[in-house]
Amino acid sequence: MAKPAQQRMGLLQGTLDMLILRTLLYGPAHGHQIGKQIQRTTNDLLQMQHGSLYPALHRLEERGWVSAKWETSPDKNREFKYYRLTAKGKKQLLVEESQWKQMAEAVARVMWPAAEES
Amino acid sequence: MQWWQTNKRNADLERELRSHIELEEEEQRENGLPPEEARYAARRAFGNATLIKEQTRETWGWMWIERLLRDLRFALRQLAKAPGFTLTAVLTLAIGIGGVTAVFSIVLAVLLRPLPFKDSGRLISLHEHIEGDSHELNVTAPDVLTFERESSAFTAVGGFIGSGYELTGAGAPFKARAERVTASLFPLLGIEPMLGRTFTQQEDDDASPVAVISYALWMERFHSDPNVLGTTVDLDRRPYAIVGVMPRTFEFPLDAGRLSHRDLWVPMSLTPVEKKSEGNNFDFSAIARLKPGIAMPQAQQDVDRVMAGIQAQYPLKGGVKIHAGFALLREEVIHNARPILRILLGAVALILLIACTNLANLLLVRSGSRRRELGMRMALGAARKTLFRQLLTETLALGCLGGAAGTALAVVLVRLAAAKLPDSLPRLSEVGVSWPLLFAAVLLTGITGLLCGLVPAIQSTRGDVLDSFRDGGRGAGHSRKLSHLRSGMVVLEVGLAMVLLVSSGLLLRSFAKMLEVDPGFEPAHVLTASLALPGVNYPTQQKVNAFFSTLQQRLESEPGMKSVGFASNIPIVGQKSGRLIAPQGYVEGPGEGMIIVSNYLTLGNYFAAIRIPLIRGRYLGVSDDQPGAPLVTVISQSLASRYFPGKDPLGLQIKVGPDFASPMPAMTVVGVVGDIKQGARDQATVPQMYEPLSQGAADLGPFASMMGVHGDMDLVLRTTEDPAGLVNALNGAVHRLDPLLPVTNVNTMDEIVAATESSRRFNTVILTSFAGIALLLSLLGIYGVMAYSVSERTSEIAIRMALGATRQGVLLKTLRHAFSLTVLGGTIGLAASLGLTRLLSGLLYGVKPLDVSVMTSALIVLFLCSLLAALIPARRAASVDPMRALRSE
Repeated sequence: MAKPAQQRMGLLQGTLDMLILRTLLYGPAHGHQIGKQIQRTTNDLLQMQHGSLYPALHRLEERGWVSAKWETSPDKNREFKYYRLTAKGKKQLLVEESQWKQMAEAVARVMWPAAEES
Repeated sequence: MQWWQTNKRNADLERELRSHIELEEEEQRENGLPPEEARYAARRAFGNATLIKEQTRETWGWMWIERLLRDLRFALRQLAKAPGFTLTAVLTLAIGIGGVTAVFSIVLAVLLRPLPFKDSGRLISLHEHIEGDSHELNVTAPDVLTFERESSAFTAVGGFIGSGYELTGAGAPFKARAERVTASLFPLLGIEPMLGRTFTQQEDDDASPVAVISYALWMERFHSDPNVLGTTVDLDRRPYAIVGVMPRTFEFPLDAGRLSHRDLWVPMSLTPVEKKSEGNNFDFSAIARLKPGIAMPQAQQDVDRVMAGIQAQYPLKGGVKIHAGFALLREEVIHNARPILRILLGAVALILLIACTNLANLLLVRSGSRRRELGMRMALGAARKTLFRQLLTETLALGCLGGAAGTALAVVLVRLAAAKLPDSLPRLSEVGVSWPLLFAAVLLTGITGLLCGLVPAIQSTRGDVLDSFRDGGRGAGHSRKLSHLRSGMVVLEVGLAMVLLVSSGLLLRSFAKMLEVDPGFEPAHVLTASLALPGVNYPTQQKVNAFFSTLQQRLESEPGMKSVGFASNIPIVGQKSGRLIAPQGYVEGPGEGMIIVSNYLTLGNYFAAIRIPLIRGRYLGVSDDQPGAPLVTVISQSLASRYFPGKDPLGLQIKVGPDFASPMPAMTVVGVVGDIKQGARDQATVPQMYEPLSQGAADLGPFASMMGVHGDMDLVLRTTEDPAGLVNALNGAVHRLDPLLPVTNVNTMDEIVAATESSRRFNTVILTSFAGIALLLSLLGIYGVMAYSVSERTSEIAIRMALGATRQGVLLKTLRHAFSLTVLGGTIGLAASLGLTRLLSGLLYGVKPLDVSVMTSALIVLFLCSLLAALIPARRAASVDPMRALRSE
């Protein structure tokens, strides 16, 4: 049943999960902060609509990789839903990181074989 | 969080997303954008919020329930938009499911009541039969013991035999109905006594005077005294100690189709004579419980083995061989009810078929009208899967509504029936809805609904979307095929209803025929009761007669009392005794057996009280009671015409016994009276003869002592007003004569007559209700099809009217359509009933299965009702406003 959603998310999905987990490694953050952070660190190279963060965040929460809680933000004096990396989430980040590395290496070998030999 | 917290979670998501957009908006404003543009920028950066929400919710994992609820809401909205269709479909389901379940639940409870014993499916009843004779006998006393001892297929074998005792020592003396049972019987049935214990084997062997009493006896005679155990009562003047009280629901043995009533049970304790009665007196009943894991054929082998042993030990005279067999006790109890059950099951099947046809028809009609809507939705991008799912949900919702309505109807009808049906039917208080049957009915209609509801879905997923728009959404060829199918279904329904109408008509006519039968007396304004004068206080017939004569005088002086008489047996309640007679000058035909007639000993103004018409001669009177009066008898017309054919019977004589030449005393016929019905009015009668009670012993000549003292008499009181008002006068008069004497069986004759009619009335009412349900369902079918065809042809009708067709013409044309469907269905139904009503012949009285008047009236009822059903759509067709109808196209 969740199939159409996945298709629409495109290839980005797995990557987005990893990026979110990586961002939360710095500490708890709400959706807007996570979005800004990813945008900033990628120098706006990754074109993404902020809204697409939320299905990913909820999926991560459903899997127990992050936990969520409404908290008052220190500066704005307003409540936001803050996401936190769980112990399970930290492990998952390691797994995804190594998978990503392997894939990147594999892709690199196909794309630039000469570079590999030299 | 769980799925039922969806709303809370949705609000939470809403808030989260809003806070994100607001924050973004603020940041954009801080970057210097004007507020309006800031908001748009924030929205743009966020993306499609609705889609995001949807996608987020999908991650929650309980989407399917939410989707189901949404589909359900949608389905209910769709159903609400077509109230006519919904109402008809739900009514069809409700009447089909509810009606059938209710009626059949009552039948199950009344005819097929479950045996009130532990694990009764393994209880069997033993029988014996003589080789070459199909007649089933019970077993002999010694065989009960032998089976108990020798058989290995049963965990236990128990024997019992009916018995009656004069019970004294607990209120007024009365004749107690008792059963002698072996000690093994109660444990075998698995029923514990409510108080105390049942018998031990020791008590059975020693013929100990102990008794277990029924709940009713305990309540009535011992005022529910919890300390009743150990009390003694006298049975035939021998003291018995009460050792146990059975629970209220306990009945044993079971009488098929009615409540059995026993006052007490005593140990079997076979007498030495009984123990030696091998090969004769097959009066004992034996039941047994099959051992776990033993199948019927194994048990039969075991029974054969035991029987062979008995035969070897006690060979019978003339080499007669006896075989034993058994049947499940359950089968035996329902045996008599089987024919009517089979017919009712057939009727149930017909009704469910009608209901399913009706439902199928309605759904097909609807599918035709929805092709356009579905086509439109598909053209707008709805996934086929989604449409399929929604149609499925809609059908399921309809099924649930119908099922719920049907269940409610079943419960209400069963409650009503339990309150309204006559008490003569057993266990009506325990009638409950038969849930397995309800389930089966719901399942069947549910499957039909599913299959038919999916037709439009399958159609919509096939073929070109554009198809559905051609011809304004009703492809001509397709529509014609469907409309033929629909008409065919209505014809089928009408035909099935016709079969049930004819069947119920036949039963109704049988009932009417039975009511037309003259019972031979006038039951209105008659009160009856029974008195049993105990032999202790009334040792001679003179004393008995004197008591009744005094009672007659006292009662006849009561206001409102016309005449009072007594008889050893009254009409309608059944034949209590028979007399072997030899009429003067009658020569028996070859093969004709002994002449046994039904005999009545009377006293007082019996004939006047019950009003049996006098045909010749005179009634019996006071002069016949004088000492030394000549022996006389009054005979019924059938006796006269059969045994004194072509002769004037007055003055001719009758002797008791097989031979008129015997030295028995002769009775002279002094009167001929009309025949009375001894049992229910639809049963055959046996010729009758009446003798004065005072001459009863003398009529037997040398065997006078066989009659003993006849103190059991039925009272017949003819009254001017409502006989029920004289019950107190009767009780008072009896108690002033003998304060201890119980007045039993106090009933008006009308009540007795009604009770004998109850089984026929029950069958008739049940089958007639089935026919009514069937008729109602097929009317709904006719209505549905007519209403749809009118709505479908609105524009056609409008054009016709614009071109000059009259309203009357339109009305008649629509009615003609309904009429032709009915004629076709009625004819098919009639043809089917020609074959099927033969199955009913066992239940009919005075009517042939092919009764023209019944069939004609069934047809007329069918036509009138179908015209009525078609009238509403026809009137709607006739009231079409041509201009408005054409403009809306």
